[in-house]
Amino acid sequence: MRRIKIATLIFVVCAISFVFIGGCAKKKAGVTVIKIGLIVPLTGDIAAMGQGMKNGATLAVEQANEREDVRAKGLSFEVVPVDDRADPKEAVNGANMLISDSKVMGVVGHLNSQCSIPASQVYARKDLVMISPASTNPKLTQQGLRNVFRVCTTDNVQGSFGAEYVYNRRKFMRVAVMHDKTTYGQGLAEEFRKRFEEIGGAVLSFDGINFGDRDFKAVLTRIKSRNPQAIYYGGMYSEAGLITKQAKELGFNVPLIGGDGIFSPEYMKIGGKATEGDIATMIGAPPEELDTAKKFIEDYRRRFPNVAFQPYDAYTFDAAGIIIDAVMNAGTSRKGIVDYVHKIKYQGVIGETQFDEKGDTLNKTITVYTVRGGKFVTAD
Amino acid sequence: MGWAVPIAAIVAAVLLPIIFQVFEQYHLVHVMCLIGIYVMLALGLNIIIGYAGILNLGYAAFYGIGAYTAALLAINAHISFWILLPICGLFAAAAGMIVGVPTLRLRGDYIAIVTLGFVEIVRLGLNNLDVITNGPKGLPRVGETIPQPQLSMGAFVLRMDGDLHYYYFILLLVLGTIFVVSRLHNSRAGRSWVAIREDELAAETMGVNTTVMKIQAFAVGTFIAGLAGCVYTHWIGFITPELFTFWESVLIVCMVVLGGMGSVPGVILGTVLIAGIPEVLRDVLQRVAENLTAGTAATWREYFDNIILARMLLFGAIMIIMVIFRPQGILLARRPDIRRNIG
Amino acid sequence: MILQQTINGLTLGSIYALIALGYTLVYGILLLINFAHSEIFMMGAYFGVFALQFFAALHVFQGAPALQILGAIFLAMLGTAVLGVVVEFVAYRPLRHAPRLAPLISAIGVSIFLQNLMMTIVSPEAEPFPDVVPVNIYTVGSGATISSLQIFIIVTSVLLMAVLNLFIQRTKLGKAMRATSQDRETAELMGINVNRVISVTFFIGAALGGAAGVLNGMYYGSVKYNMGFIPGIKAFTAAVLGGIGDVRGAMVGGYMLGILESVGAGYLSSAYKDVFAFVILILVLIFRPQGLLGRKAADKM
Repeated sequence: MRRIKIATLIFVVCAISFVFIGGCAKKKAGVTVIKIGLIVPLTGDIAAMGQGMKNGATLAVEQANEREDVRAKGLSFEVVPVDDRADPKEAVNGANMLISDSKVMGVVGHLNSQCSIPASQVYARKDLVMISPASTNPKLTQQGLRNVFRVCTTDNVQGSFGAEYVYNRRKFMRVAVMHDKTTYGQGLAEEFRKRFEEIGGAVLSFDGINFGDRDFKAVLTRIKSRNPQAIYYGGMYSEAGLITKQAKELGFNVPLIGGDGIFSPEYMKIGGKATEGDIATMIGAPPEELDTAKKFIEDYRRRFPNVAFQPYDAYTFDAAGIIIDAVMNAGTSRKGIVDYVHKIKYQGVIGETQFDEKGDTLNKTITVYTVRGGKFVTAD
Repeated sequence: MGWAVPIAAIVAAVLLPIIFQVFEQYHLVHVMCLIGIYVMLALGLNIIIGYAGILNLGYAAFYGIGAYTAALLAINAHISFWILLPICGLFAAAAGMIVGVPTLRLRGDYIAIVTLGFVEIVRLGLNNLDVITNGPKGLPRVGETIPQPQLSMGAFVLRMDGDLHYYYFILLLVLGTIFVVSRLHNSRAGRSWVAIREDELAAETMGVNTTVMKIQAFAVGTFIAGLAGCVYTHWIGFITPELFTFWESVLIVCMVVLGGMGSVPGVILGTVLIAGIPEVLRDVLQRVAENLTAGTAATWREYFDNIILARMLLFGAIMIIMVIFRPQGILLARRPDIRRNIG
Repeated sequence: MILQQTINGLTLGSIYALIALGYTLVYGILLLINFAHSEIFMMGAYFGVFALQFFAALHVFQGAPALQILGAIFLAMLGTAVLGVVVEFVAYRPLRHAPRLAPLISAIGVSIFLQNLMMTIVSPEAEPFPDVVPVNIYTVGSGATISSLQIFIIVTSVLLMAVLNLFIQRTKLGKAMRATSQDRETAELMGINVNRVISVTFFIGAALGGAAGVLNGMYYGSVKYNMGFIPGIKAFTAAVLGGIGDVRGAMVGGYMLGILESVGAGYLSSAYKDVFAFVILILVLIFRPQGLLGRKAADKM
């Protein structure tokens, strides 16, 4: 008897899966739905940035759906949020899910380079355009994939910019470098070290820590004994906040300098008062200087009133905007969209975006911020 | 009637991916490949836990050793997949022996802890030996590729490419593993393992060399993990140390125990449930959300999106409930039929 | 520098020792590796944060930071203790006579459930731990520093362990616990209510884990839904190092591991610090499987 039950169970499962396949073919009358995949970490260690990016993409789509020209074409855009948990395996799973859905015309993501790189190869199989708002590792666009773009600058631009700023403006000659061993963090730290030593600075130590660790006192004690003037950290805010806090508890009062990964309000939440005077380099011009950016911030505040602004929200907004623009002009062929994005000149909230032949943005502005009164403000 | 279930399962296993492919549900084909790999792993671990009764909490380490062996040899020495497959198995089995020989004479719980330590050592080693493994950035490095396996018979060349090809190859490997595992189970070695599991002291008094037999079980089980690792590397084409954590080991243990330790159909069922449920929940919840909230306010949609994120919460609850109601596993292992082999 | 690393290690070790006690108590009595314990620790940290937020909202103990912290630790211990008993009741008790691996699976289910529960209902982000106590930093010796927080953590955990030791050695219930851990069946024959002893064990173990959670949250200034995993396996290692099932062993193991880890990370490499911990664990198990303080257990004869 039990065997019959199990056999029935298997068939029921099969039947249900058919129903679901059928269910997804359901259409809204008269409107063509265009989906834009948003694949970022929505849970896990750096979910705050991912959730902010989801808000950015949602805002872009909602504004597009209000536009007359979009309605006239009978289009309706929709964001499909997928969680990659900053885990390459989940990223590839999610990428496969997105290429399967024939209504998905573009992908905004991923946040981390270790996810973007393997996933980009999946999208390439189906010519699906992928625009990363945040993956800064140079290798992403060096794979020779035509469908891969990013609206942020790369680690070598940012790392060497950081090195020059630290040496020339802050006059720090002796710096300790730490990184979280990820594609992003180590890449940034290595670019920093290379440039910093080239222009005459001394890198006293170069330490990797394990992503997800919470205790850094032992390594900080060792670094402190060599008397550096600053710590450069390649990695995300979740570890950086703890590092700066624990350094100051050891009586090691030097500023922590980081890249875009620490440029988040969460950094001050974790590090508390210890973050005062710390420095972050962030890609793009400060939003106060651009009129489009000011409007974006106002709209964002209205739509998501209780949410703190995260660093990549504007980049995600533009990445989604580029895909929407491409669909409006190139129609619903994935290949056509890729071709269109290669030639695009897009006026967005982060300024004008144009891509070189590899898919890197030509917009290479970087701004330095420092923590003052618990907030990141533009440094001079 | 006894054949109804296996036949239904095999028909489903053969036909479903084609149907998914036709309906362009590539993601589900991908998930089925992943389940196939996990079935291999769970069957291998079943030899260690289910037959010999050794609690191995570090099985993912051997899977990782297979995967990294495959990647390193394919990239640096350009060795073909077909030669790599057994090599990876042997490497993993060798690692299994290195861990097993000094520790398998210890009491059961200690082996659990040693293997737990081992999986962390392997992961951290892979993470930090940057020169060889490229650290957390994974293999292959940019610019390197892992060549796709191909079969050539004269002019006829079949290149393995895409999830569907891999799926059927994995299915063949799974069937092969099932065959080997069930033959082993009925062999002299299989009986010794079960004897050790049931009562180690009694087995020893009856003349079973328990340490040697336990090392054998360890070697066979880890060999299968190495094979699975090799296939995984070639299929996905990108590996990082984060794939081979203690957590991964624990999930494989759950697959073995949930379905029914020592029973091949049970282990397969457990794997399908554990590897499949989170993915199916993601997919189903996503669709339910889309269908129910079409045209309604955006806040509803956000509410559903949050439920999708909480799918692991449901998964945890399902695990507790299942194990409480079927502590022996969903399908019970049948005791080997002794009479058949006598005389 | 060695002094500084020892101070760092002692602080870390205090927390490991407190968590390790939870593992070792349960293992001593049920021969069960309570994998959900690391999540009990995590919940303790969250309960501590909730308690402090609660005090702030109700304006109790304001201006008396010592009372706030002690109140938070007490409430967190109470909360996790109850949670520990509930977990035992829901996930372990129905499986008392099931195969030995079944409770392991339900423990992992509990782990997944609790982690995702906190992630969903609170936030996937780190939650700052309200800093109610001003942190003073004192210089000791040549250049080494110790903060008031570190002193507080070490003192609190030593006190808790002393109380536990007294409880186990001097009270009737403690005696019943020792008896049950030596031989459950005989203890039952002697009229000990084994189910009650098991509940008490989970109550105490979880309370200590909860206290460790609050101390850990205070020390690092933030709590997070996945903060339990790494301290959890480390503490488990510590318990085995000292001899699992042995209460004093867990304390010694915790402190040893904390100091070894700090010294290893300080002098050799921060990336390999966890490798040292596990290599030592494996060496101890191979050469002295009963742990440093454990008695040689006779296998069943």
